[in-house]
Amino acid sequence: MMKKIYTIGALAIAFASCTPNAKITPPISSGNATFTNYMAIGCSYTAGFADNSLTVSGQLNSYPQRLFEQFEIISDNKRAVGPFIQPLVTGDNGYPNPKLVLSTKTYCDGTMKLAPSPTTVPLDSNGSWQYISPVNNGQVNNISIPYIRVADYRVSGYAANINHYGNRFYYDPAARPMDELYSRVFNLHPTFFTIWLGMYDIFGYAAAGGQGDGTGLATPVSLNYYNPQDITPTAVFTDIYDSIVNAAASVSGSGALLNIPDISALPYFTAIPANGLYLTRKGQADTLQALYANSKFDKVFQEGYNYFIIRDHNDQVRQAVPGELILMSIPIDSIKCAGWGSTTPIPREYVLTTGELQNIRNTVNSFNAYIKQQCTLRQLAYVDMNAFMESLSSGISYNGIDYTAEFVSGGAFSLDGVHFNARGNALVANHIINTINDYYKSSIPRTDANRYPGIKYP
Amino acid sequence: MKKHVLTASFLLSAMASFAGGYQLNLQGLRQLAMGGSGTAWPWDASTIFYNPGGLARLHGIQIYGSASFVMPVTAYGNRDNSGTTPASFQTTRQTFTPFNFYVGGRIQEYSRFAVGLGIYTPFGTGVSWDDNWIGKYIVQSIDLKTVFFQPTISFRASEALSFGGGFVFGTGTVDFRRAMPIHGSLGADNDDGQAHLRGNGTGVGFNLGVNFRARHNLQFGLTYRSQVNMDVDGGSATFNVPASLTDSFPNTTFRSRLPLPQVASVGMGWRLGDVTLQLDLNYTGWNSYDSLRFDFKQTTSTLDNIRAPRKYRNTLTTRFGLNYKISRSVALMCGGAYDPTPVTNGYVSPDLPDADRIVLSCGISVKPLRGLTVMAALESINAVKRTGTYDFAGFSGVYKTGVVNPGVGLYYYF
Repeated sequence: MMKKIYTIGALAIAFASCTPNAKITPPISSGNATFTNYMAIGCSYTAGFADNSLTVSGQLNSYPQRLFEQFEIISDNKRAVGPFIQPLVTGDNGYPNPKLVLSTKTYCDGTMKLAPSPTTVPLDSNGSWQYISPVNNGQVNNISIPYIRVADYRVSGYAANINHYGNRFYYDPAARPMDELYSRVFNLHPTFFTIWLGMYDIFGYAAAGGQGDGTGLATPVSLNYYNPQDITPTAVFTDIYDSIVNAAASVSGSGALLNIPDISALPYFTAIPANGLYLTRKGQADTLQALYANSKFDKVFQEGYNYFIIRDHNDQVRQAVPGELILMSIPIDSIKCAGWGSTTPIPREYVLTTGELQNIRNTVNSFNAYIKQQCTLRQLAYVDMNAFMESLSSGISYNGIDYTAEFVSGGAFSLDGVHFNARGNALVANHIINTINDYYKSSIPRTDANRYPGIKYP
Repeated sequence: MKKHVLTASFLLSAMASFAGGYQLNLQGLRQLAMGGSGTAWPWDASTIFYNPGGLARLHGIQIYGSASFVMPVTAYGNRDNSGTTPASFQTTRQTFTPFNFYVGGRIQEYSRFAVGLGIYTPFGTGVSWDDNWIGKYIVQSIDLKTVFFQPTISFRASEALSFGGGFVFGTGTVDFRRAMPIHGSLGADNDDGQAHLRGNGTGVGFNLGVNFRARHNLQFGLTYRSQVNMDVDGGSATFNVPASLTDSFPNTTFRSRLPLPQVASVGMGWRLGDVTLQLDLNYTGWNSYDSLRFDFKQTTSTLDNIRAPRKYRNTLTTRFGLNYKISRSVALMCGGAYDPTPVTNGYVSPDLPDADRIVLSCGISVKPLRGLTVMAALESINAVKRTGTYDFAGFSGVYKTGVVNPGVGLYYYF
């Protein structure tokens, strides 16, 4: 009898001691690529630019930083070896622009709303403009410069005279970015690289409301330098892009080229709906109808939401049509109190019309066709960031959060509505890792994007 | 500002745990030790739950009490997060103590009628993950308790046949916490907001049973326990968000309805000398749990009512048990069950990471005094390792749940 009780007791201990285990630790393979020395080449998106400024935390949350961390945990000896060096600025408030923070804004009509505004804490003026590379003869793994275009790579003195972000760490600011690229490649000997360039060859046009040349016929305003409001001609883009990839690949055979998302899907262009003219009374609609009675354009004014009155790219006043976009740079007070969009047309610098959007999308398509061609030619992974942007626009369900391309509430973009925040950058890194794993037959795990900072509310 | 990150998949899955693997089969100690089987054989007053038809078979008046100590642990692993983030997480060890109390018997010594009252806890457990774990935006912790009150009447129609039925009044509490992806309440850009839902619910239902004694050593049972809709009204919903968003997420109340599914059971008990064998089949109507709704009393442009798909499927559980009477005063029990999960692929959520379960159990009963029986039982539930996705929230991983569950009980015949 007692024996049996002991047996039961022993069983009880056996039961209690078994703890479930769901650990999964398969080896992480590098596949056919070698990640030992990783170099990131790009513009603002790659530099960690966010909230309309460059800050040290933005840089430390860049997607190249996330990629390096994942490359570093590969099990075999083709893992990335640190340090991964970015040309870090010194502070977290921004320089020369203050970074944007969310705060309550009071508008001319007395309404209050949460909106981004420049931080009022002192800027990081002390030391941010100089970068002194600490190790290995000035090793830099992320040589991205905010705003840089593919078209800028042949401009002499670019860092010295045009873009001071480059001035911070270029060996020779008076040289061309292309020369600097070669120097950096020969310094680091990257075994793996990513290139994400081309957004700013289009963005300047879009951000200026399509006032520059969008047809690909722009000419340089000075030696090799194009007006930032023009779209870079496709022939110029392809020629220089080829040289850039050639430089990056001169040491290494493996890497990934990221294509260009449709930038008109960025919150900067979608946050303010083109039909944001809200009329509360029939009388208001009648007044506007009467005001434009003699104008030839088609118009509809009714109670509720109406399309804004705009000045289009032909300098014609008309009502916006579905699909056209209003830029986030528009002064909201002018809409609320100065009759912009109703009695006064919205100036064309704040509007992307159907024709201008077509120019943007045509360019994205032809640039991307070339990037894809480069990937095939040089056997590099082709990362479809345009597809990523599309899925973000329709919503990415991720570990309990629905990330979207909506301004602020979408969770992936920073307060400038153009660049990703830390979580968005981690999602970008994960998308790149997926493509790398497919192409190079590697098995690199993705990062947990929800661990990183999001937008802070007051 | 619209929903998405703000409301995101907010609150959707709260209280899911009323369902599935948290349907506890702990309403009697001897039955617990026998794999949860007990539809056919009226062992003691716990037949008020297992088969009200068996109550009229009992001799005398019996008072019965038992408690279990449920210790579930779930491990979660996700290959995507190996390396820079923890690759695996485990729920905090907690002990839950469901209990049962029954009193009942024939109203007079030779009466065909018997009455009784059962108070038991058919659902009641919880999951508590680390507040900062990878699934924090789906669930941080959930805790629920239910208590059913069941007054019962039973009628012995003949030597072979007896019927019984009970009215069920259920009460329950739920407590659910989840992180919200809204930062700044602690002044940082990586802190989280939190939603906390607490509520009490009540519901009614019934429990019917037939006991058929084919021969003195062969009995059959047939029972039907109705669905009980637990209606939560006036539950409190509090949101810990940054000051600028308190108008968007006002603290409010919510209403919800949680269907506890109907269960039809058929069982057989067969005595061979000192050994009694039991076999039960439970068919559980989980498909009534199609989706989960939360209606907030006050909604805003950022705080919507919630509807979360569940799409449970009906399950058929097989249970068997053996009772071996060693002597006049001592019996040993053992048993097992195969309990398939109602949770279908694509709906495996970390608030109820359910999988097919294999149950093993054993126990002992001793009669130290005339009229008194003392019982102890031990149950081990092993859910098979499951790789599951919760598509609704874009969440996936590997889950492994283990439950250890010792229990003690006693009953006394007057």
